[in-house]
Amino acid sequence: MPARFQSFAALTGIVILAIAISPAAADGSRVFLQTGNLTDILRQISLIGMIALAMTFVILTGGIDLSVGSILALATSIAAMCLTRMAPGMSYPAHIALAIAAAVAAAGLTGVLNGAVIATLRIQPFIVTLATMIGVRGLAKWITQNENIDIGFGRDVAASFAALFREKAIVIGSYALAAALFALVLARTVFGRHVRAIGDNEKAAQYAGLPIRRTKIWVYTISGLLSGFAGVLYAAENHQGNPNAGVAYELDAIAAVVIGGTPLSGGRGSIAGTIIGSLIMGVLTNMLRLKNVDSNLEMMIKAVIIVLAVAVQRERESA
Amino acid sequence: MSFLQAGNIHKHYGGATALQGASLQVQAGEIHALVGENGAGKSTLARIIAGSTRAGQGRILIEGNPVTIASPVDAQRLGIGMIYQELDLFRHLTVAENLIIGNLEFRGGSMEAFCHPFLQQVGLGESARRMVHSLSIGQMQLVAIARALSMNARLILMDEPTSALFEDAAERLFALIAGLKQRGVAIVYVSHKMDEIFRLSDRITVLRDGRNTGTVETAHTSAAAVIRMMIGRDLEAGQRAPRPLGDVVLAVDGLSTAKLKSVSFELRRGEVLGIGGLVGSGRSELGAALFGMDRVSAGAIRRQGTLGLVPEDRRLQGLMMQMSVAENGTMAVLPRLQRWGFLRRGQELAEMRGVAGRLGLHCRSLHDPVATLSGGNQQKVLLGRWLLVNPDVLFLDDPARGIDVGAKQDIYRAIDALAREGKGVILVSSELPELVRCCDRILVLCEGRLTATFTAAEATQEKILAAATSTGGHA
Repeated sequence: MPARFQSFAALTGIVILAIAISPAAADGSRVFLQTGNLTDILRQISLIGMIALAMTFVILTGGIDLSVGSILALATSIAAMCLTRMAPGMSYPAHIALAIAAAVAAAGLTGVLNGAVIATLRIQPFIVTLATMIGVRGLAKWITQNENIDIGFGRDVAASFAALFREKAIVIGSYALAAALFALVLARTVFGRHVRAIGDNEKAAQYAGLPIRRTKIWVYTISGLLSGFAGVLYAAENHQGNPNAGVAYELDAIAAVVIGGTPLSGGRGSIAGTIIGSLIMGVLTNMLRLKNVDSNLEMMIKAVIIVLAVAVQRERESA
Repeated sequence: MSFLQAGNIHKHYGGATALQGASLQVQAGEIHALVGENGAGKSTLARIIAGSTRAGQGRILIEGNPVTIASPVDAQRLGIGMIYQELDLFRHLTVAENLIIGNLEFRGGSMEAFCHPFLQQVGLGESARRMVHSLSIGQMQLVAIARALSMNARLILMDEPTSALFEDAAERLFALIAGLKQRGVAIVYVSHKMDEIFRLSDRITVLRDGRNTGTVETAHTSAAAVIRMMIGRDLEAGQRAPRPLGDVVLAVDGLSTAKLKSVSFELRRGEVLGIGGLVGSGRSELGAALFGMDRVSAGAIRRQGTLGLVPEDRRLQGLMMQMSVAENGTMAVLPRLQRWGFLRRGQELAEMRGVAGRLGLHCRSLHDPVATLSGGNQQKVLLGRWLLVNPDVLFLDDPARGIDVGAKQDIYRAIDALAREGKGVILVSSELPELVRCCDRILVLCEGRLTATFTAAEATQEKILAAATSTGGHA
């Protein structure tokens, strides 16, 4: 698929550029290429990368999910509250599992709600998930009363949770596992085929008797679940439940998807592309930060990259 | 001197070659038929002349002067208009707005005054303020024709203009075309319908595989000769052996929806039941009602087994254009192709290959996007989707619309084979000879009511047309 090669070529180009302009470390090697730096990049892209995987499915159906950042914030808040304010008298592992389950379940339910409203009331996904974005942000702030729920550094259950789930291996491993799973589901299952078919031509999908409503509800549910799990990792990484977390994450996730060659109109695209899109964004950020480029300038450069990446992938004149 | 001379036109779509050195010469005021099989390149050649597709190489002369036609606006300036098979109208604008949009002839003033004479000419005089999406496909086609007329074109390319029209609307179109010819307007008429071509055209240019196989004077040739030039062989005769009929597989009793009024009929296994009627008569809505997509307000549908529906518009309602031939073909049977949750892609290709063989489907690879196929092959993919489902009743909504003679034969053969396997087939068609040829019985709808039923023996085109227009002078 040419689109994928193009985004892969873009990634290669940016990596080469990053190596070329990387500052040198004390021993003369390139800072960019140090293992610690490379794994940092992977960790930094993992959360939005995960959200972007699910966003790819949403966009392939011709939809969009703007609520992922708010859902992430809700999940960080629920996980942190569950860990710091509840004393259920369980073992640490059970308590941690309960907190994660509660956060992910709430996120998943939000996704079900998105999907059910979109599929049954036939309201545009942009509008439904915009409403969810606003409403769920409010919910996260309300349950936390506008406060960050701090997770300490001691030996309590919350600190143990944070220590474990901010491990690079766990974070990157979760992303890698999710990426492999999503790629397999999209390419090799009936569900994946239905996702693309609905985005390509929903009317035709209806005439072919495909389960449109069920597929859409699942797609938004998956998006909610992944955003929730990303929220759990966010809470561990930042040692807090933060109702203001994840602002504009939906835009970064959408950017990764479109850079990876999935058009917003749906029907065509790949998980590999989305992973490359996330890597391009991650490498770019890292490269600029190593050069101490002003973060405002960084945003402007990213803006140009997004438009360029999509422009080169624009489909040539079709038959 | 010729008005248009297009020569040595080449066009590639990715790896696929659409045209390899095709040419076309059209005199002023002549009706020139452009014919050829699926994928012969007729539509591509027409689109290149109309500026909506760019040629890879080639030259175009208008009245002897070399010109570059890079866009439809260039074409309009040169006096070239085109009526596309898949009508290029703005569905959420009014008829009049569609006429003036991008129209260099409209230089301000009253939009409706500008549009009125052209709409009058095509019989849509009262429809200037109607939204296009509220029109039937046949009426939309008339809007597209009025649009070309209003652009004061000296050459109008028509790509399958009667494919969605029932005979009386087609008659109006033929009268329009004759009137245009009188005024010195040249028509390039892309069609598969031999009777129309021979009735209308002065000359015929035949394409095969993107090359010319000849240009002939219509008066000095025959349909058989033209078909031989198109397909390189003779056409088989249309006679068929009688089919045995089985049990009633579908019984419809007093069916009413928003568009249907108390329709009753029975369909037996092994029977091909034709549905005739004008566009907008309720014939497509019958399929939607049977398939459960339109709300049934009264009546009963009793069916043994499953129902399949091949919809009228393969681009809008049928195919996923970005997906491959195989993916489109197996779309409705995916659950049966999985093992342990994963698709068995070998099995998928094997089943698709079987269907492709049965239907004479031609494509380079089953992995090609279905959009790269010609209309006839796309229709075969859609029909193949339902052959794989293997339903007991199959509703085919104008399956041979706008496809060439060779592909039509393949589809007729598939319909006959389905009936012989004991399926009940319902065939909606705009083409009366098709109904007479394929069907055991023919029902005729008019304004949502069943107005006549004929057996194969008693049906004639005249009787069907009379029944289709029986409740008054409706267009």
